[in-house]
Amino acid sequence: MNGAALVARGLAKRYGRVEALRDLSLRVERGESFGFLGPNGAGKSTAVKILLGLVAASAGEATVLGRPIGDPAARARAGYLPELFRYPDWLTAREVMRLHARLARVRDASRAIDAALDEVGLLARAGDRVRAYSKGMQQRLGLAVALLGDPEIVFLDEPTSALDPVGRSDVRALLERLRARGTTVFLNSHLLGEVERVCDRVCVVDRGAVVAEGTVDALVGGSRGVRVRLDDGWHEFDVAPDRVPELVARLVGEGARVHAVEPRQDTLEDRFLALVRSP
Amino acid sequence: MTTLVVAALTARELARRRLAAAAGVLTLAIVLFTAWGLQRLATATVEGAPITEPAVRATTAGIVLLLAFLFSFVVALGAALIGGPAVAESIANGEILAVLARPVRRAEIVAGRWIGTVAALALYVALAGAAELGVVRLTTGYVPPEPLTAFAYLAGVATVVATAAIALATRLPGTAAAIVATLLFGLAWIGGIVEAIGVGLGNDRLADAGTVAGLVFPSDALWRGAAYALQPAAFRAAAATIGAASPGAQPNPFLVATPPPPAMLAWAAGWTVVVFAAGIVAFRRRDL
Repeated sequence: MNGAALVARGLAKRYGRVEALRDLSLRVERGESFGFLGPNGAGKSTAVKILLGLVAASAGEATVLGRPIGDPAARARAGYLPELFRYPDWLTAREVMRLHARLARVRDASRAIDAALDEVGLLARAGDRVRAYSKGMQQRLGLAVALLGDPEIVFLDEPTSALDPVGRSDVRALLERLRARGTTVFLNSHLLGEVERVCDRVCVVDRGAVVAEGTVDALVGGSRGVRVRLDDGWHEFDVAPDRVPELVARLVGEGARVHAVEPRQDTLEDRFLALVRSP
Repeated sequence: MTTLVVAALTARELARRRLAAAAGVLTLAIVLFTAWGLQRLATATVEGAPITEPAVRATTAGIVLLLAFLFSFVVALGAALIGGPAVAESIANGEILAVLARPVRRAEIVAGRWIGTVAALALYVALAGAAELGVVRLTTGYVPPEPLTAFAYLAGVATVVATAAIALATRLPGTAAAIVATLLFGLAWIGGIVEAIGVGLGNDRLADAGTVAGLVFPSDALWRGAAYALQPAAFRAAAATIGAASPGAQPNPFLVATPPPPAMLAWAAGWTVVVFAAGIVAFRRRDL
């Protein structure tokens, strides 16, 4: 258990009659990028808040970096980007970072602050007051705060929700750098394409309960043949991946002109929609 | 350490958001207006003859008490309007989520907000009080008997109201917490008058109701301590005479026969500790 970045067993949360989370059990290994998916109201943010001690679980237990949740030391090496937040608009971005550096007792704070701001592309605007920031820039600042001090695990709750396509691409690149660095990433996101590209494993929750968990490949399933574009349009062929060259050779041999070949495969979005729309 | 970081943030917020500057400008206006008025009083004549020095001093002493009451209301309102939002706004805008995801305890956040708020208000009491009494002395030569004790009592009023506002703000929106704390301050003040009327009329129920209001929210006893500390000997003697005619009665909030007894001060201190602790417990149990 101690080797894992995060272990949860039977976590549950009830708000009066509403069951926000039911029997959530998870294990995320160190260095893993873990996607936590689900529709609005599925219990994703509640789960993250429980893991960070912001919400008390009604049942179950969990550890983060080997320490029980609720223990402040469990949060010493963790970073968190909340889904909805606004930093004090009268502070500059660097002052926000300095505040968090003190709270997290980050060593060599100036260097760490510059590194985190640079990582999200805000270093040049570090002296500006937060009130002058766009929504996307505030989200970048939130990311910088989460990454401050090189945490071992980062919880990112919808990190790209306020970003434009360039920002989203930047965050994807950032997530890939974190993975390469060995940082454990716990990613809540609605953007399934993003999760599909950067996460090793995913867990889908719906109405407070886990409905699927595994690697992206395992969830999506294997190849279901190929689509081939000929002069008269697209054609589908059920062939195993290793038989594709022979299929193309046969088509060409029969006089067809092959313009494109692509695998027929469910996307994570297809699988996700099937899971959360099932009764 | 974390507590001091949060306290410094609270104090810096007051400075940065121009609240301190606005309070400073308005206080300066009051001080200058007082100086102008007292200067006119000191040089005024009645039927061609200047007002006697004892009359100027007695009038000035009364004005000082009214000014002190004005400032007690300002610091009480300030305590409610600073203390409540200091905690509640960071919860409402989600800022607290990233802060509490750090290795900090919720008690440290509440304590830091409390220290920052109370320290800022105590500084305001000291600076505004010194400026006001300074112009009083310059214009009329009058110095109240125990100004530092009065400042300490006014800081106590601020502490009681700020503690209530902060404790309430761990559960309520900032504005609601500030309004409730201000209403409690007003209720305690009226309770003090009701108690005095009850004692004066020999009506135990009225007197008890006033006493209970004063115990539930002990700001009025602290205000009376400030008023007593600012009263010259003649005022104290007059208050004692009226009190003797109606044993135990405090004639009004501006004429006080005795300072609050040590037991009442101990109650106010204990009340502050208990309400502060209740705020921490409420915040620790809150889902964010």
